[in-house]
Amino acid sequence: MDTLIRNNEKLAKHQAGASQKVLNAVDAALKALETARNQLSESIATAGDGDDNCNSTHREAVAKTLLAQVERSQTTSSEQLKELYTNVSKYGKLVDKTFKLDLGGVAESRAFEDKREVLAQTILVHFLREGDFETARRFAAEARLQLPEDTKAQFEEMYGTVAEMRRAPRHELSAAIAWAVANRRRLEAADLAQLEFALHRLRFLQLVEAGQAGDALAYAREWFPRFATRQLAEIEHLMGIFIYARRLGSSPYAALFGERRWEDGAHAFAGAFCTLLGLAAASPLSVTVAAGARALPVVCKVSGLLRDKRIEWSQQNELPVEVPLPDAMRFHSVFACPVSKEQATRDNPPMMMPCGHVVCKASLDKLARGVRPGSIASGRFKCPYCPGLSVLSDARRVYF
Amino acid sequence: MEMDKINVNNMLAIEEPFMKAPLEQLKRSIRQSQKQAERETAQINAAISNMIKNKDMFSAEEMDKALGGFIERLKILRRKLEESKQEEAQLISRSRQRAADLNELSSFSSTEQPEFQRWCRTRMERVLIDYMLRNGNVDTAQHLIENGNLEHFADTSLFALVMSTERELRENHSCRSALQWCAENRSALRKVQSTLEFELRLQEFVEMARERHVADAIAYSKKHLVAWSSTELPRIQRAMTLLAFSPNTDCSPYKNMFDMGRWDYLANQFRMVIFQLFDLPAQPLLHLLLQTGLSALKTPACISDDPTEHNRNCPVCHLETLGKLAQDLPLSHHVNSNLVCRITGERMNEDNPPMRLPNGYVYSHNSLKDMALKNDGKVKCPRSGQSFKISEAKKLFIS
Repeated sequence: MDTLIRNNEKLAKHQAGASQKVLNAVDAALKALETARNQLSESIATAGDGDDNCNSTHREAVAKTLLAQVERSQTTSSEQLKELYTNVSKYGKLVDKTFKLDLGGVAESRAFEDKREVLAQTILVHFLREGDFETARRFAAEARLQLPEDTKAQFEEMYGTVAEMRRAPRHELSAAIAWAVANRRRLEAADLAQLEFALHRLRFLQLVEAGQAGDALAYAREWFPRFATRQLAEIEHLMGIFIYARRLGSSPYAALFGERRWEDGAHAFAGAFCTLLGLAAASPLSVTVAAGARALPVVCKVSGLLRDKRIEWSQQNELPVEVPLPDAMRFHSVFACPVSKEQATRDNPPMMMPCGHVVCKASLDKLARGVRPGSIASGRFKCPYCPGLSVLSDARRVYF
Repeated sequence: MEMDKINVNNMLAIEEPFMKAPLEQLKRSIRQSQKQAERETAQINAAISNMIKNKDMFSAEEMDKALGGFIERLKILRRKLEESKQEEAQLISRSRQRAADLNELSSFSSTEQPEFQRWCRTRMERVLIDYMLRNGNVDTAQHLIENGNLEHFADTSLFALVMSTERELRENHSCRSALQWCAENRSALRKVQSTLEFELRLQEFVEMARERHVADAIAYSKKHLVAWSSTELPRIQRAMTLLAFSPNTDCSPYKNMFDMGRWDYLANQFRMVIFQLFDLPAQPLLHLLLQTGLSALKTPACISDDPTEHNRNCPVCHLETLGKLAQDLPLSHHVNSNLVCRITGERMNEDNPPMRLPNGYVYSHNSLKDMALKNDGKVKCPRSGQSFKISEAKKLFIS
């Protein structure tokens, strides 16, 4: 990529030079024309009614000189532009090499054909979630969509609060804490009680950092006790901070004061807020695009092979290839039978053998059927992964 | 943790259309300059040569006038070349800025870094800008561009050209701009064997037929359609026959030829050809990313009738929006298991093994341990509501 940028700079220089030379060539032609004109007017002035033959010879000479100059100018322009074009083509090939993908090879699925409005709605919701109200409004106007007013109002509250938290140097937490306290019961029900504690913790650290040890202690006395059951270890850890109140930077607590805590706090708040609204913590559109950024190159690479077999990737039941995703993008369990490598389905669920190993039902049946009657322990088969023996009826359904 | 590493090559791969677009425009601009310069000087040369050959037929005044004319033309040419110079410099600069922005990727070490996440947010904006421009949502696009300082990443002028020409076709039912563009790009169109110009000429002919301007229509066909007779003779013949039918005819194919829907077809054709010429993907990048992304995320659980199978963080489980978009798309493919705890959303592996409760439901070891610590050694299955002792949970092995 660095090569690319360097080549680009070289190209820019070349283009500047070449274009200038072309302009100069045109200027030279213009000058030649002006000169020719001047020479002509001189000859008109001096000749008068005189020797017409002599004039016409003179004119011919002027014209011939002019022609030569104009042709020379054209040759220069033509050469310069041709060289420039070649250089651009070379640069283009370098770009092709760096970005080796041919997206034209991936046929688009027809899946979106009649879903324009759904897509528009999805994008609109994305803008709202990201707090981009102005963009949402404009898009709704251009796409002729209804702006869901109540959702917008809810998000507006969140972004005001989060913006205050993020804004340095004040990092105002009061609105966020007020919200968390007001929604305490719902947060507890959603197993998000730690949000309130996290916010109190931020406030506590903020007071300590500002040198207000007394206030910090008072704050801790007021808010921490409710969380004593769940957060005792953390509280005890935090209270030790008073020993180092005057030299936080060199204390074991220094790491707690990193700049990232505000962004982390903001994210935690936004996530909890959205969860209480019944929404996902991160914009689903962003998550999908991120997944697509990983999936598209992979699908692209195999699409050439698919096309040879006349298979459209989008018409199949399953993608032709596995797309590796990070843990953050794993929202459901997938079980692939270690024996058959097939994915578990409702008709072919995962089954546990007494030894604790899990295979899909189809593989299990195969294992059981493979046993010859009258062999060592009739009806029993060995687990493919350990010496454990089992019978088909021992197997138990597993629900991930 | 290796999943948190960034596969730079793969991530850059999808940016290919962004990188190609300015270069194609650049090439086109240079070609145009070449043609203009050649044409002007060729004509001037020819005129001068003519004056030399027939020197006796030109008076000094006439010659002077001619020279004056040449000077004017060259001045116009110079102005055009000056404009091209600026445009080309801008396109090269744009290409460099895009490369620099993308190059940032290699400076990140993990997907968890906030800088990387910020880069991803910018990418989302770029993809949306491209989508908006293609769709004609110019106001939204402009706002996104300004907000994100993404001027260099948007091919605004290119899409503006597409939009205005399309609008002229679709709404004003005029082929003027489209034909002008065809005239300027004839050789490129010939290279891809496009019949767009013919289709446009045909439509103008049909409009004359519609207005019953028969004589004009015939004259028009002689001037503009006959040139295509080597490849399009049957259609030309059909066009001539069209003159015998009334615009309200029910007789196909003449009914189809008069159909106003042809204008939409022409607009689409224009768009497709211009994208082809500029090497842009026919569909917005957003579509491709969403489709492959949705498929990669889609599992049988997402489309299950059982609502407890749905995960609110999973985009495909959002039935109203992304789930609907994913309806006709393939499921994800897995040859390796990947288990996710229903309680915590964490991965269940050797470090945090899956534990099966007597009722068959599986949860992560850590989540059960946490639950047991707070509940006197007992755990409660969130899906069935049943309670068990943690000692009743059995460890599972999945590989």
